[in-house]
Amino acid sequence: MSDTAPILDLDCVTKRFGGLTAVSGVSLRVAAGEILGIIGPNGAGKTTLFNVISGYYRPESGRILFAGADVTGQPPHAICRLGLTRTFQLVKPFGNLSVIDNVMIGALTRLPTVSSARLEAERVVEMCGLAAHAGGHARTLPIGLRKRLEVARALATRPRLLLLDEVMAGLNPTELAGIVELIRRLHADGLTLIVIEHIMAAMMRLAQRIVVLHHGEAIAEGAPAAITQDRRVVDAYLGEEFVLAQA
Amino acid sequence: MSGLLRARRGAVVVFGLAALTPLVVRDAYFLDSLVLILLWGALSAAWNVAGGYAGQVSIGHASFFGIGAYSAALMVTRFGRGPWLGLLVGVVLSIGAGLIIGVLSNRLKGPYFALSTIAFSQVLLIGVSRWRGFTAGAEGIPVPFRSGFATLGLGHTGWVYMALSVALVCYAVEVYLERSRVGYQLAGVREDEDAAEALGIHTRKLKVGAVALSAALTSICGSLWAQYVGFVDPTYVFSVDLSVRFALNAIIGGMGTALGPFLGSILITSLETYLRATFSNWDARFAGIYLVIYGTALILVVRFVPEGLAGIAARIRMRKAHA
Repeated sequence: MSDTAPILDLDCVTKRFGGLTAVSGVSLRVAAGEILGIIGPNGAGKTTLFNVISGYYRPESGRILFAGADVTGQPPHAICRLGLTRTFQLVKPFGNLSVIDNVMIGALTRLPTVSSARLEAERVVEMCGLAAHAGGHARTLPIGLRKRLEVARALATRPRLLLLDEVMAGLNPTELAGIVELIRRLHADGLTLIVIEHIMAAMMRLAQRIVVLHHGEAIAEGAPAAITQDRRVVDAYLGEEFVLAQA
Repeated sequence: MSGLLRARRGAVVVFGLAALTPLVVRDAYFLDSLVLILLWGALSAAWNVAGGYAGQVSIGHASFFGIGAYSAALMVTRFGRGPWLGLLVGVVLSIGAGLIIGVLSNRLKGPYFALSTIAFSQVLLIGVSRWRGFTAGAEGIPVPFRSGFATLGLGHTGWVYMALSVALVCYAVEVYLERSRVGYQLAGVREDEDAAEALGIHTRKLKVGAVALSAALTSICGSLWAQYVGFVDPTYVFSVDLSVRFALNAIIGGMGTALGPFLGSILITSLETYLRATFSNWDARFAGIYLVIYGTALILVVRFVPEGLAGIAARIRMRKAHA
């Protein structure tokens, strides 16, 4: 990690649901310009961690700093305005609105007028490869394009840090290659990303650093190549077959 | 400006005809129907601000209608002041009540919210019925007619233009919600609150604001209605029937469309007036049959044009574009 102050700094964050500790004492630092991957088995607390960071859940303890500001317990819209937003694993398009209007609503967060937001939305829609569908209702999009719409809408709010929650799940190989390419381009333009993903091949190509969650705890952290050799990670998530396949 | 008129030509026709009618027609019965069509349309448009644009479907909007009606009637009969002051007081009280309902909408979703709005109107109904010393209770209050604009004692023609004015105000609010920044953000809130939050939208504030605005407009219509009809009683002005009527006109006409509530009102109000007039002269055995026909018409519309009457126009336009 660089010497500069991290853009996101989680200090011992814990989130409980009744007797279940979904996120347990997670400390995490993300440097500006980094792509951090988060992996772990289902129910490990990955999405809960995103919900805590983006303000949907208030953690029981711990502290979250974004760009130096304490955002612990702040509502999602306030956190978004500071420059941190996310996509949803179960996509949430504004189904009865057109694709361009979906993205424009994101752009309105930074822009004061509908006409300027529409121009911005056209640019983002083009960049995300949705231009051919701009006028259609969001609910008519196939899943691959809905995932892109999630990304496009979030980008329109001009985030500095974007949390992507399984934007590759359920995509065919062509769609997958397209979205990996998109993420790389965004990263090259200076965006910091945290990516939750199960598709290890894509994760290995994208992430500079990976954190492994298991039962709500961060059990390992490191470069992708090192992570796949980690005994605890293999036992908890990847399995022996993965190691053999990599060898 | 001409572009806007072209895009809104349906509204130009509807409101234009309403404005021209009193110049040609002198028949009191017909003008009375027109006033009611415009008032019920304005009320449904006011409901549409919360129910259609913000997605907060209320079946308790009679609360705000009743608050407006009673504020105007009591201001005249108890305090000896003009109904306009009562209208203003009604707006303030309704915004207060709208804020309460709006905060409820942040706690309760969908059917639970709708039920709580019914409960709210029922509480007002019981309260006003019991507070006999001030509100005259269930007997209701006759509002005296005193001729003049300041006392809202208008002739039929005057009332057509008064109802048309308030209809245009409600319509303008709807158009604003279709074109403005806050309107788009509200559409996001209606479609998916979580997603709207992630995009930086203060969803709670917007919802409460929309419900309060809707309440204020409903209250204005309620005050005018009390002066027009000249009588208010709690069992009517706070009734669930009335709340359902506001919602139904908008649903039949097209929820979340600006002209829809007025189209719904034209169909339902004229159908109801016509059927009641026709069948009341028949044998007593058919006394309630207009309700049966009325209900059947509703079922047919909801079955065959679920997106509302405004949707028919959109369909025709689509077909033309494809042809």
